[in-house]
Amino acid sequence: MIKDGKKKVWDDYQKEIADDKFYYVRSCIRQTIWPGSENIYLRILKDVLGKDIYESENHTTCTGIGYHSEVVPFETIQTVVARNFSLMKEAGYENYNPSCVTSFGIYTEILETWHHFPDEKKKVINFLKQATNRDFVEPKNLAHTSDVLFKFRNEIAAKAKYKLINKETGKPLKVVDHIGCHYAKMFPNKGVGGAEYPQVLAGLVETFGGEVIDYPERRHCCGFGFRQYLVKANRGYSISASKKKFESMEPFKPDFIITNCPGCNYFMDRWQYALAEMEHKTYGENGYGIPVLTYEEVAGLVLGFDPWEMGMQMHQVDVEPLLKKIGVEYDPSKKFKGANGEDLPLPEKPNHINFSV
Amino acid sequence: MGKEVAIIGGGVAGLEAANQLATLGYNVIIFEKKGQPGGNAAKWDRLFPNRRHTSEVVNSLKSRLNGNPSIMLSTAISSVTKSGNRFVLATKGKNFEADAILLATGFELFPAEKKEEYGYGIYENVITSAELEEMFAKHGKPVMKNGSTPSKIAFIHCVGSRDEKVNKPYCSKVCCVTAVKQAIEVKEAIPAAEVYSLYMDLRMFGPGYEDLYKEAQQIGINFIRGRLSEASELDGGRVQIKTEDTLSSRPLKMSVDMVVLMVGMSPALGTIELISGLGLKPNKDGFVAVADYHLNPIGTGVEGVFVAGACSGPSNITDSVNAARSAAIEIHKYLSK
Amino acid sequence: MGKLFDKLNSDVRFVEGISGCINCGTCTAICPAAEVYNYEPRNIANLVQTRDDSVIEELLKSDTIWYCGECMSCKTRCPRNNAPGLIIQALRKLSIDTGLFVESEKGRQQLNLKRMIGNTILESGYCVHFDHLSLDVFPEQGPVWQWVRDNRETVLKKVGANYNSNGPGAMRVVSKENLDELYKIFEVTGGIEFFDKIEKFSAAKAKELNKEIGDSTNKSSEYFSEAYTVNSINKHKR
Repeated sequence: MIKDGKKKVWDDYQKEIADDKFYYVRSCIRQTIWPGSENIYLRILKDVLGKDIYESENHTTCTGIGYHSEVVPFETIQTVVARNFSLMKEAGYENYNPSCVTSFGIYTEILETWHHFPDEKKKVINFLKQATNRDFVEPKNLAHTSDVLFKFRNEIAAKAKYKLINKETGKPLKVVDHIGCHYAKMFPNKGVGGAEYPQVLAGLVETFGGEVIDYPERRHCCGFGFRQYLVKANRGYSISASKKKFESMEPFKPDFIITNCPGCNYFMDRWQYALAEMEHKTYGENGYGIPVLTYEEVAGLVLGFDPWEMGMQMHQVDVEPLLKKIGVEYDPSKKFKGANGEDLPLPEKPNHINFSV
Repeated sequence: MGKEVAIIGGGVAGLEAANQLATLGYNVIIFEKKGQPGGNAAKWDRLFPNRRHTSEVVNSLKSRLNGNPSIMLSTAISSVTKSGNRFVLATKGKNFEADAILLATGFELFPAEKKEEYGYGIYENVITSAELEEMFAKHGKPVMKNGSTPSKIAFIHCVGSRDEKVNKPYCSKVCCVTAVKQAIEVKEAIPAAEVYSLYMDLRMFGPGYEDLYKEAQQIGINFIRGRLSEASELDGGRVQIKTEDTLSSRPLKMSVDMVVLMVGMSPALGTIELISGLGLKPNKDGFVAVADYHLNPIGTGVEGVFVAGACSGPSNITDSVNAARSAAIEIHKYLSK
Repeated sequence: MGKLFDKLNSDVRFVEGISGCINCGTCTAICPAAEVYNYEPRNIANLVQTRDDSVIEELLKSDTIWYCGECMSCKTRCPRNNAPGLIIQALRKLSIDTGLFVESEKGRQQLNLKRMIGNTILESGYCVHFDHLSLDVFPEQGPVWQWVRDNRETVLKKVGANYNSNGPGAMRVVSKENLDELYKIFEVTGGIEFFDKIEKFSAAKAKELNKEIGDSTNKSSEYFSEAYTVNSINKHKR
């Protein structure tokens, strides 16, 4: 691998990312499955970086999962998106900052559609007026939440308490990144680093002291496939895609996986558990899985936030081996405690993959 | 007689036209920006379809460079302007004048790193067809980055050709037959090697090309009708490639020791800037636009400015030699008026 | 050119999705669906460019158009800037508009998706909602998710969520005013009509098959359950 080759590609794909005054929009999957990640993102932006980031209670889902499952027509999702943009304007913001890769893809695709097919835009302006009496507006800047952390990676690193370095060996942790198809595969110049060698997470990992490992199936889809996961009969599609990735990365012995997309994070975490239970096969060390972290969790960890406040106990693949490697100070006994430190019944242990309770 | 012709570019077309024009009695000067004549051909080890050594051809073309025609090496032309019937060519040092101009600036090999998904410049054992020629010249066979001899090699057609994604929608004409030639050479150099050729269409249009294709089939080159979709590096530096075997409608993934990218022909850098001073525009693919594609493929939109070889579009050596001879006649007609 | 082709061609996604396929196979090469299903995105592009209505009708009735996962990996690679994934989106839309989706096993799953995702969007303002993610439907969620569900109030509070409460925050309640506006958008833009089509054609098919389908919120009827779980794998696999 010739690393400089990638850096040359990266130079061709540097996008504009606003530096303050963000209008934050939550993701259906991230807030439901990884709510701690969204919370920590806001804390990093506000408390660590001192940014103005506003969240409206009025926005709805972009309906992207419905759109990609063919239950929501294109006109409908375009108008829902237009409404979300209007809400931003009404709140006094111009920089749209979604926390979801599916949404980011939707917003990008729709803005491109309005640009290339003016009749679609005209239709949507009318629909929006008719349905909501709101005024149509396009954002000045559209950046995914990981783009924003990428932009401020050096500021975060400067305040970091830990590095992505194995405390015992002193060597950088080996990290594989998974970007999520809808981040840049449709519009490579809308993603930091492009579609083939995205820099958005690699840049975070390297700045935090880790080493990014390329592996042959890096670009392959996690296997969500919308209807291919949501309908039980199709789920073989989903788990097969993830399995293909785990087998391809296994020889490189990654210390953890960092993901860009909330769905990918879910699939790469949960399918490792399912594969262990189905095939008695684990892909990490000593009968554990390979921990799967959101980029917010990675940034939060190096900054020294408590893993359990970030929701890392909600992972089915145990993260504790990784916390120990980094040398994070944490209290294992608090992992499954409630909000006020109260005892809760412990989760059941899976049968074929190690899990600390 | 005694009129002066300036030729920009000392490759096959420029050298051949210079030789013909000097024979006709003109004073000919070639401006070559590189340090040696021969253009892209000089970098090639052997030629299709008969695997003749390129040096034979290039040496023959440059054998007359002793007075007239003359050549100025390492001399780039920064602009050409027309003043009355005379042309002024500016170089870094001084200006030159001429009565007619022949554009023979040739082509650049497509920069393979632009086809990002193939990993050229990132994956160690992904090389270009030009680099393979260098390996043949130096070692007589392909060599992997770690010094070992590859036993499984894939040739990838249409890299920087027929590809709107990299803004190269046209066919570069010579890469198909070059891939077949190189595949045979690899097999001859390393008889035990498995050699694959991933193609979309095999455009074997020239004399002897189809024979070469048949020869390749008979010595066991594997032809797969599918374009490379992506390459990635395996642990240890081997390369995983993904394509579709479109004839059996199946996705196909395999691991090879080396990938050879058949880079296409791109317009030579600087040519567009050069001709714009004369008010000339490139064609839609970025090559020099000719006056009439059928009836005057040598002329341009400016009287006294002619074009030959790959600077007006992909061409092989034979095409370039023919165009150069036509150009010599057209220039002679123009200067005899 | 036929009527079905004209309809396809009026969808901007179709226009954007195909400009002339050279059958190079770069799409199929990396398609996740092509790995597991008897499916080639290349062939989709190749078939629609015949502009032949009988070919298109066969596609609309087939399982084939439902194999794609819309990852759009094909779009990145096509040397002609086509996108089979976009063609698929237009074909699926037309399959629902014409009611032909009920003629295939995979197509009939649109009822599941409408009643799960579609209804959830209008009821809650989310595509997926915490309360619906039970382990019997999604067993791969694993025991840790069961633990989260069993202790949701305190666990979600600990990680800073605003579960089922008013105001901003993760998993908040989307207010009635906002849901009304969302509904209005669906009404004005054809979203409600689209839901109704899925229900109507599915109900007719259920009747034909003599299977009970239940009302538009039912997720346990025979027709619903069969569509959700039956996988005639030998028919679909490579």
